[in-house]
Amino acid sequence: MATIASKKKVDDALAISRSSNFAINIFFWIYSALCIIPILLLLGVSFSDEKQVLINGYKFWPEKFSVEAYNFLVKDWRPVVESYGYSIFVTVIGTIIAVAIMSMYAYPISRRDFKHRGIFSFIMFFTILFNGGLVPFYLMYSNILGMKDNLLVLMIPLFAQAFFILVIRTFFMNSIPTELLESAKIDGAGELRTFFGIVLPLSLPVLASVGLLTTLGYWNDWFLSLLFITDDGPHTIQFRMYEALLDIQYLSSNSTAYSEIIKANPGFSMPSETARMAMAIVGVGPIIFAYPFFQRYFIAGLTVGAVKG
Amino acid sequence: MLRKSNVMLLAVILTLAVVLAACGNNNNNENSSASPSASTPASSQAASSDEAPASSAAAADLKEVTLSLTFPGTAPKDEKKVEEAINAYLKDKINAKIDLNVIDWGQWDNKINLAIAGREPMDILFTAAWNGHSNNVAKGAFLALNDPNGKYGNLLEKYGQGILETLPDAFLAGAKINGFNYGIPTNKELAEQGGVIYRTDIAEELGLTAKLDAVKTIQDLEPILAEVKAKKPELIPLYMKDGENFNSHYFAKYDALGDTSIEGVIMKTGTETTVKSRYDFPVYKETLAATRDFFQKGYINRDAATAQLAPQDAMKAGNVFMGVFPLKPGKDAEVATVANLQGKLKQIEMTERTVSTGETAGSMLGITTTSGDPERAMMFINLLHTDKQLNNLLNFGIEGDHFTRNGEVISATPNTPNYALGAAWMFGSQFLNYVWDNEDPNKWELFKAFNTDAKNSPALGFTFNAEPISSQASVLANIRKEYDPGLDTGSIDPSKADEFFKKMNDNGLKDIIAEKQKQLDAFLASK
Amino acid sequence: MEQATEAVVQPKKALKKDKTLNIGYWKKYGVFYLMMAPALIVLIINNYIPMVGSIIAFKKITYESRSFLENFINGKWVGFDNFDYLFKTSDAWRITRNTVVYNAVFIALNVIVGVAIALMFNQMRNKRLAKFHQSVMFLPFFLSWIIIAYLVYAFLNPQLGMMNKEILPLFGAGEVEWYSDPKWWTIILPIVNVWKNIGYYVVFYLAAIIGIDKEYYEAATIDGASKWRQIRSITLPLIRPVIIVLTLLQIGKIFYADFGLFFQVTRNAGMLYDTTLVIDTYVYQGFLVTGNLGLSSAAGFYQAIVGFVIIIIANLIVRRVSKDDALF
Repeated sequence: MATIASKKKVDDALAISRSSNFAINIFFWIYSALCIIPILLLLGVSFSDEKQVLINGYKFWPEKFSVEAYNFLVKDWRPVVESYGYSIFVTVIGTIIAVAIMSMYAYPISRRDFKHRGIFSFIMFFTILFNGGLVPFYLMYSNILGMKDNLLVLMIPLFAQAFFILVIRTFFMNSIPTELLESAKIDGAGELRTFFGIVLPLSLPVLASVGLLTTLGYWNDWFLSLLFITDDGPHTIQFRMYEALLDIQYLSSNSTAYSEIIKANPGFSMPSETARMAMAIVGVGPIIFAYPFFQRYFIAGLTVGAVKG
Repeated sequence: MLRKSNVMLLAVILTLAVVLAACGNNNNNENSSASPSASTPASSQAASSDEAPASSAAAADLKEVTLSLTFPGTAPKDEKKVEEAINAYLKDKINAKIDLNVIDWGQWDNKINLAIAGREPMDILFTAAWNGHSNNVAKGAFLALNDPNGKYGNLLEKYGQGILETLPDAFLAGAKINGFNYGIPTNKELAEQGGVIYRTDIAEELGLTAKLDAVKTIQDLEPILAEVKAKKPELIPLYMKDGENFNSHYFAKYDALGDTSIEGVIMKTGTETTVKSRYDFPVYKETLAATRDFFQKGYINRDAATAQLAPQDAMKAGNVFMGVFPLKPGKDAEVATVANLQGKLKQIEMTERTVSTGETAGSMLGITTTSGDPERAMMFINLLHTDKQLNNLLNFGIEGDHFTRNGEVISATPNTPNYALGAAWMFGSQFLNYVWDNEDPNKWELFKAFNTDAKNSPALGFTFNAEPISSQASVLANIRKEYDPGLDTGSIDPSKADEFFKKMNDNGLKDIIAEKQKQLDAFLASK
Repeated sequence: MEQATEAVVQPKKALKKDKTLNIGYWKKYGVFYLMMAPALIVLIINNYIPMVGSIIAFKKITYESRSFLENFINGKWVGFDNFDYLFKTSDAWRITRNTVVYNAVFIALNVIVGVAIALMFNQMRNKRLAKFHQSVMFLPFFLSWIIIAYLVYAFLNPQLGMMNKEILPLFGAGEVEWYSDPKWWTIILPIVNVWKNIGYYVVFYLAAIIGIDKEYYEAATIDGASKWRQIRSITLPLIRPVIIVLTLLQIGKIFYADFGLFFQVTRNAGMLYDTTLVIDTYVYQGFLVTGNLGLSSAAGFYQAIVGFVIIIIANLIVRRVSKDDALF
């Protein structure tokens, strides 16, 4: 009893004062609001009447509610759905291959008994230190390899990222006891068997965290599209949003919706501002919906391999 | 680290690398690079399909070839459909297939620079004096088309007889660089005039028609724009962007001597041949001040400096009252067709009519040095100048589908918006084009009249060769991007121009002007 | 026991060292090379060949040949000409200054704000609320720069944006041409950068702080130390390794700017270049807009070399200070 009471007293002493706590709470409520508010603004504008927006500017709460912008996008749903398809494909396949490739590289160099561990670690590590630059990178893919306008070029550059290989290697070295490997060897298992059967299952935390970060990298990428994708190529959802931000006309020119609408009412004028915002919402909506579900894993994953002890 | 085993390993890896690069090369389409291994340097030539005997133009002897036609614009929905029609038509003529490669205006400069640097295989590429033509020629991007000693000989003479017969001399003469033509100009209006195009339906609604008809100068527009802004706040009274504003070369009349992306000009309307920076001409500061005034009064779109939309596309959205355009007879009807505002646009001419190299070389089709079959490409360009059916097919689409025809006049169909390139001024001879029913049926006569009695720029026929100062030019391009869009659209204070030109002077402008002057003087002396 | 195993393995290794690549070796370790092959190939294509290709900066490339490779091989060696020209321009200093100063500010903010927020999270009484706020704070990290460009645009659009239409009028201030006036971006960019990335750093700092043994605090409290004293003397020193590693990694990249931030959020507006042009966007502009291979590749190479030297130096410094935390 006494210990519990004293522990509680110490706990209370460890805690901060009520007023400081209050101040901290207020601070975070404001900060959290600031994280959400910009997105709400986009949402508000996307549901506004175009004319009102053009006169009075963007508002959180639409002066005149309208789903015109979404109607416009929905009538021409095909490109958007296609873009999602491409994004999903690149992200899922890219991540699976990337994680596989990177962990397969990390394993040999994590093994202290591997002769050439040093040089291969160096080969990987050196790419963190020195980077050839945009120009040769671009020329390599577009010209020497002739890869343009296809999904491969959107995936390959992220397949082998030295930083992640490092993280996986560190995990292998610190968290896979050598005794396990020894006993596998004694049991007669080959290296591949050991790797797939013992090492990988034990490494799920680090693989998950690298996987999540890679997924994020693929999903959010627009730079590779900017460099290597032309009109004829596959447009991911990020790239489509980029084009809409630059030139909303892009949406109308390829749009069945637009020509049909024009046929129907010749006086039609495109809801440029609101459609732009609607495009952004369509692009980011899924992330925001999915966010509460996967963010937990993310935070857990980040701390696993990365905090260097 | 450099133990023998490691060195061997490194060697293995590096060999892998070379092999990979070789494989990558071989995977390239047959028109481009040779493999890096020393054995077959000639393979690239052999791989391309120009085995056709040089003189024969008979389709039967020609192997089928696909030519790419790359130009700026918005890719039309029915691109594939029309491509197929063109290919079917060309099969018997020159046995070539055409791949239309339409690149968004906003991305055009970027993509073309990348394509040229990366030696991407292209055949026919749109080019113009105001779009870096001389720069690109200096980089070796385009083939000389009438060089008898060139690799393919004098392509123009061999396969371009139609062009030579129909294209007025002024065009080809005015587009030469160092004595050779690197692009075939479009046969169209020769002169140029600056002005604006506005929405007649809105003008009528606001009772401004009479005022608009009386407009002669920029200042005359002021009360009109003020009223539009007051009565129709959801509209943009005057749409501008970088390159399409009162300070553009076609409005303020600067002659950039062949490449508007490089500073150093003379006036088209004058007789002086001293090259100076635009800053040193009074019209520059006047225009900036007038534009700034309009911007501050809210007549010009606030994002003018960063806007990417071409004025005719901006009008498409329906919320623009007036835009700045280079004019010619019937320009308003042309823009109306593209913007789906048939019958609702009218133009106001606001400057003198002038002719400069910028016009004669203002729209050309060049053949790139990465083309797999320059001879076939030249044949195609020749057809665009002589074959009426092909020309109209490319420009307007499929008869009956995208337009209906009655003699020379064509009318829109519900399907017209799906193929409305609005790029007739890029392809071959405009005099072959059909005329839309909302245009003047005498359009081509008007064109001829438009071309006569225009003022020739003192530097007509001269194109600056940018090679000697290419580095300076690229540095200045960055500086230009920092100031021109803002200054020309009135988004920033005109006093910044002082800073702008000082910076350019500090970074090699004087060298560029000296070089331009030197070349110009040499040209004038040899005339 | 691990040490014993290692000791047993060592002498065996010493023997094997001389008999290198015999059949036994390949039987045992051959599969490793196969496993590493895919990543190796990618590294070669993606990193190493371009590294070799960066010598393009020392050549003058014409476009004579249809093969880029031929052009590259046949290009004339011009030594440092391109660099010479690059450094003569007023741009060279400006892009260097912008890149380094912004990154330095970002690094400082990431540490200061990140640690401060992590400390605050740790002190909060209501742990569930803390978790909630942390999650919300992390959201911007997941948004792509395109989305963030949209968000910023919603505020800074000169004609329709929140700032000019609602917020500034509240304070009686006039409208600002956000995308034409360079001076505001020295503030806007750090704010946006922190907004997007701080969640990421907070995760690490918080994990480190939580990992500190409560006993230290208990002992300190018994000794009468104030909260602030505890933070200064216990928390901060004990999370120093994490701070150092994260900061070192960022410093190593101080010569590389976040392309998305400087290109998308600024909408690549030319008038802002004075305070927004960084080496990365300069290379992109130079290569694309003006197509000048020499200048842009020289800038890229300059970035690679200086970046390399910086990370080596940074690592050396950290090695002096606390050996274990150095990268290598």
